[in-house]
Amino acid sequence: MGKTERKLERNPELVWRDEPDARQSIVEGLEAGEDVAGRGWVIIVDSGTIHQLNLLAGEIWMLCDGTLDETGIGEKLAETFDAPVGEIVEDVREFVNECLEKGWLQIKEA
Amino acid sequence: MELSAPLTVNWTLSYACNFNCRHCYSRGQTRDELGLGDVMKIVDELADCRVAFVNFGGGEPLIYPHLFEVATHATSRGLKVSMNTNGWKLDAEAAGKIAKAGFRSVGVSIDGATAEVHDHFRSRPGSFEMALKALENLRDAGVDSTVSAVIFRDNVAQYKQIVEQAAERGVSTVYLHNFKCSGRGMENREALDLKPDEWKAFYEDALKYREDAPAKLAFDDPIIALLGEAEGGAVKGSTCGKLSLHLEPDGDTTPCGFIPLSVGNILTDGLKAIWKDSDVLQKMRNKEPKGKCVGCDAYSECLGGCTARALAVTGSFEEPDPHCWKSDGTESA
Repeated sequence: MGKTERKLERNPELVWRDEPDARQSIVEGLEAGEDVAGRGWVIIVDSGTIHQLNLLAGEIWMLCDGTLDETGIGEKLAETFDAPVGEIVEDVREFVNECLEKGWLQIKEA
Repeated sequence: MELSAPLTVNWTLSYACNFNCRHCYSRGQTRDELGLGDVMKIVDELADCRVAFVNFGGGEPLIYPHLFEVATHATSRGLKVSMNTNGWKLDAEAAGKIAKAGFRSVGVSIDGATAEVHDHFRSRPGSFEMALKALENLRDAGVDSTVSAVIFRDNVAQYKQIVEQAAERGVSTVYLHNFKCSGRGMENREALDLKPDEWKAFYEDALKYREDAPAKLAFDDPIIALLGEAEGGAVKGSTCGKLSLHLEPDGDTTPCGFIPLSVGNILTDGLKAIWKDSDVLQKMRNKEPKGKCVGCDAYSECLGGCTARALAVTGSFEEPDPHCWKSDGTESA
């Protein structure tokens, strides 16, 4: 279960947009065995620079709606991708910490 | 990644203007203007398509009678709204209305560090002082401001002073725009535009200056990829048709304000369909190198440079940017 003190939410000042068609294309590429690591489906605009999030980072991003912590996000993604929770939670923590440093994510106040 | 809709829409609500600038891409253009009802429908279409940024240009936006109604509606729909103005009508009252309408930032055009240079370029005595005053009014109203300076022959030696004067008035970012060769800019190109090697020297100097400049500098010129620099991050080459689109006063869309080719009307064709299906936009996104771009080791980074400039000067999207200082794949002496 997620720890209530570290529920993650996106910085409301940040401009971002998800692209469902691009996500679908990446998923299909993944299923076809293509290298999709560099392909993005969520764009974030920060200080005039446009960043793209790849499949997993985008999935994490979309789950940062203020209701889940890293463990909760990892559990959801483990279900979606049929992968070990422990490994995914580590990836989630790494991405979340990077986003917290950049100010893209924030801890939701209780 | 090919986007489902533009991230930025640059919107000319009207071509009416109180200035007659020597480089203006739009002076002399006329278009029917939509009624307010249709303009509001377009705002809703932009919001429904999740466009992030809307920038009002022109023409002079502060002359457009419904600017603040349109901007207020746009911000209420979640769009990030900005505009570019010459500043002439941006007094304290206008600055207050801008703040109230929720503008994210306002760009003021300043094309010289002195009244002599700016006023001559803008063909309007007193416009330099008014532009500086506009920046102060924005600061006093708590509105984020930027400065747009078109670099040309008479101001290239004083661009650092432009940046310093802007920073003194609280400006966050100074856009040092490249010269576009469109409209009156094309007519006056011989007198105003720099030669390719002069552009190279300017960018080398400005990129060095940027490290310690008192305001953030932005360039919006794909040609600087030749110097190992790139802005934006998501796409290479020109951003028009890839990240941004231009809206005309009658609802027609063009790849950018400097490319006068309609790719559809937003009211009748819909934004997403235009963005996805336009042959012109597809061609711009999938340029094939021509001329000296063929075999050039920088092409994969610059994608031929500014598409608008290439089209204006050569008649083709795919020809090399006339500002490119490379010659047959090697830098000119």
